[in-house]
Amino acid sequence: MDNIDENVVRDAAMPTTPRVGVYICRCGGNISDVVDTEHVAEICRLIPGVAVSKVHTFMCSDPGQQTISDDIKQEKLDRVVVASCSPFLHELTFRGAVVRSKMNPYLYEQVNIREQCSWAHKHDPRGATAKAIQLISAAVGKVSRATPLAKIRLPNHRRALVVGGGPAGMKVAADLAACGISVVLVEQSDRLGGKLHTLNRLFPTGQAAIQLAAKMESQVLADPKIEILLNSKVTKVSGFIGNFEVGIHGNFGPSGKTTEIHTTVGVIVMATGFKPYVPREGEFNYKKHPTVLTTVDFNSLLATQNTEGRTLRYEGRSIGSIAFIHCVGSRQVDGVHTPGPDGRLNTYCSRVCCTTVLNQAMQVRQRFPETRVYDLHQDIRTYGRGHEEYYTDASRAGVVFFRYHGDEPPTVTNANGPTSPLRINVKDYLSWGEELELEVDMVVLAVGMTAGPCETLVDQLKLPRGEDGFLQEIHPKLRPVEISVNGVLLAGTSQAPMNIQETLAAAGAAAVKARAMFTTEEVELNPYVAQVDTHLCEGSGVCLTQCEYDGALAMVETQENEHSVRKAQVNPGLCVGCGACVAVCPTQAINVSGWRIDQYDAMVDGLVRDVEPAMV
Amino acid sequence: MAGKFNPDLHLDITGFGGKDIDMCMNCGTCTTICPMSEDSGGGFPRRVIRLIQTGQQSKLEETLAPWLCYYCGDCTTNCPRQANPAETMMASRRYLTARYDFTGLAKLFYKSAVAEILAIILVGLFVTGLFVAFHGPMVLNKVELNTFAPVHAVELGDWIMAAVLSFFLLAGAARMTWWTLGRKKMFRISPLIFIQQIPVFFVHLFTQKRWKKCGSHHSGIRWMKHLLLVSGYLSMLTLVLILLRWFQTDKVYPFYYPQRLWGYYATIALLYPTVDFMISRWRRKEPIHLFSEASDWIFLVMLFLTALTGIMVNIFRVGGLPMATYLIYVIHLSIAVPMLVVEVPFSKWSHIMYRPLSIYLYGVKQAAMRANRAADEPASEKVAA
Repeated sequence: MDNIDENVVRDAAMPTTPRVGVYICRCGGNISDVVDTEHVAEICRLIPGVAVSKVHTFMCSDPGQQTISDDIKQEKLDRVVVASCSPFLHELTFRGAVVRSKMNPYLYEQVNIREQCSWAHKHDPRGATAKAIQLISAAVGKVSRATPLAKIRLPNHRRALVVGGGPAGMKVAADLAACGISVVLVEQSDRLGGKLHTLNRLFPTGQAAIQLAAKMESQVLADPKIEILLNSKVTKVSGFIGNFEVGIHGNFGPSGKTTEIHTTVGVIVMATGFKPYVPREGEFNYKKHPTVLTTVDFNSLLATQNTEGRTLRYEGRSIGSIAFIHCVGSRQVDGVHTPGPDGRLNTYCSRVCCTTVLNQAMQVRQRFPETRVYDLHQDIRTYGRGHEEYYTDASRAGVVFFRYHGDEPPTVTNANGPTSPLRINVKDYLSWGEELELEVDMVVLAVGMTAGPCETLVDQLKLPRGEDGFLQEIHPKLRPVEISVNGVLLAGTSQAPMNIQETLAAAGAAAVKARAMFTTEEVELNPYVAQVDTHLCEGSGVCLTQCEYDGALAMVETQENEHSVRKAQVNPGLCVGCGACVAVCPTQAINVSGWRIDQYDAMVDGLVRDVEPAMV
Repeated sequence: MAGKFNPDLHLDITGFGGKDIDMCMNCGTCTTICPMSEDSGGGFPRRVIRLIQTGQQSKLEETLAPWLCYYCGDCTTNCPRQANPAETMMASRRYLTARYDFTGLAKLFYKSAVAEILAIILVGLFVTGLFVAFHGPMVLNKVELNTFAPVHAVELGDWIMAAVLSFFLLAGAARMTWWTLGRKKMFRISPLIFIQQIPVFFVHLFTQKRWKKCGSHHSGIRWMKHLLLVSGYLSMLTLVLILLRWFQTDKVYPFYYPQRLWGYYATIALLYPTVDFMISRWRRKEPIHLFSEASDWIFLVMLFLTALTGIMVNIFRVGGLPMATYLIYVIHLSIAVPMLVVEVPFSKWSHIMYRPLSIYLYGVKQAAMRANRAADEPASEKVAA
């Protein structure tokens, strides 16, 4: 529930004897075909505290909701239980219904008798019916002891921290600033642009990377709402949505000396980017032979080689033939590839390398027509709009393709021959798995993307990483730029391998998401957080040892009867309501709001209550 | 042993008329669509294209696949990349013809139309020269062709030419046989199999019946036209090589006499298909006639002119025009002889040998492989069976 009327919370007093309304939904037969809903309603009337017990074909329909509203007024109900589907589906619907009748939304309880009764036990109608009664009985017990709650409201700082000054970071900063949000943009190197500076001609437009970098940079530099901190790093971060305290270390001041500044931001956007895979020494002869390069090296070679000629030249040699090898550091196979220093195998596809290779191959064929190009791939995955054309064009330009299997990658050795210095052996599956031998002057390894550096933030904010090491979004489709830490957003390749187009799209989404978080003056959080009864707390500090969330719980000195005592104090912005502290408190001084221990006791009582003697 | 990648082979094949070989992404649509692929050892035409792309020259020489394709063009029509597999098969046939020829002349003629035309002109002038120098008396009051060009002398020339051309053609056939069956020593072949399969050669020489399995685009009609052409050609070959003394007479037989009827049939059987094929090539309507190399045109034009001048000799002779008869006779031979000398061993004509031979060799190979498999089966399995 997003809009809670605070008056509703204040007006609702704890009743001496609660009046609970129980509403049982038939779900159009989904429930009532198995569960005897009429019988359930009849039995539920017998539960102490239940004032009304009714059945409706669709509780979620307007007439269904209206029944609840009417009863709250006419029957003077102060608690409501709906026994229907999963709360995931309709908890908000029914909370809305009770709020409209001026009742506190947290005095409402939902029981799932569809997934947990009628669907789970469709061959046992009697058992399903009995179980529904027991679950409702427990919910009545819980809700009877419920107290009115209100969403936690905390100040919302209208300022965003963007970590990383690459294309994603610049895009987020520019978009947020355009909405009037002030931005701190932290970049560890001495210039904005990130990996754009390592690229040459961008697919699918052919635009020069430095041109794009310059364009984005000028936009960011021109905006007074963006504070750019170069040569700097985030060293400390704590807090929660709307209230992150950030320490930034760097030499950005006018003095040029290393300083540290502190600032408060409402949102953090992770635009920390990726690291290109670096082949091991000897992997495809890398570092063993001077003309074995990576696509990153080759990009700078293409960028710096100004003179056009019949063949490409490198370190004084004429390069008559180049072989590109795909999937280096991507799609690695257990037992075939050596895991990296972190023990990880990069089993994923880096997605951008195929088009990168073909883009580079085409540049070679166009600029140096006598340099031949060979392409050794597992598949060609030119998935984006305008990317497949690179594949077609490369064929037309005479690039010869070979296909290997991931578990039998090609080998590169020194040929010691008079003409070409490198020999490639490849089991070519376009030639029915026959082994072919190529002699080439240069080998270019299409290196993939690996997770970028953002250890400080990951450690201090406890950001989750996926198995591949990249930051893990909450849901790949429904919440693609959010991470499980509220107020932290993902932009670009910190999350997964992406091309620039996708990176900027993700960054734009993150900016909009960040902007949406600033629509209110305050941040609203769910009230289900730990609460300390200061009368019972003896300051043992056991709770602190169990708390997993930095800053959620602290021991503070307070004055009590002119004595200084230590008491536990909860930071509601950081507490997630896990209840670990509740379990260990020796004096039961700590409880999670909405899920107090006495409510659990009442639920257990409700479960074992003998409400239906006839059926037992 | 690893096959050495050779980037130059496909450029070489391009010189023989290969088109868009680079465009092939090896999807295999051509192979799936080809009705001949399965009983041709599989994988064709893609296999042939791949061998060219990767420059496996010896493997290309060792395959019979290009000769087992009859160019219906279904692969080219269905190719998603417009890589023109059918034309690549055609080019590889030209390439193989050139490779089988040890003199290198075939390669020269295929790659240079100028050289081929020059060779035809030179041989033509040589024939004309022979007549200018050695012709017999020219009787002008009536047609006496056998006085102008005595039949025994012409026959001698025929046989000398046949012997020389057969030598070159058989040398090519020997190379084809050795490369496709012997060089790799993949299996033993009993001499009996070579004898058993001989009928296959003649069946396919006279009928081209394999063609009928070929794909769409009027293959049946095309096969019949081609069969007509072959019958005309073989008729003419028989008449001028074996039956010349009966065929080249000064006596004018009645119209229905077999000597004349057979000659007219052969003429029509040569003229109609050559004209039809030339029109089709000009219009580029059928897939097979989309692309025409100079060698294709030269072959058709020379065949057409040979037949045309041949029938004119007959017309002038029957019409009683002595001078015109002698003149057109010299022209006829000055076209027919260079056509045969250049085309038979060194250009397109040679397919009359290589086509049936390839099917024969393929049959031998299949039979030998069956025999080898049977022999390799362990004795215990034989007992069990």
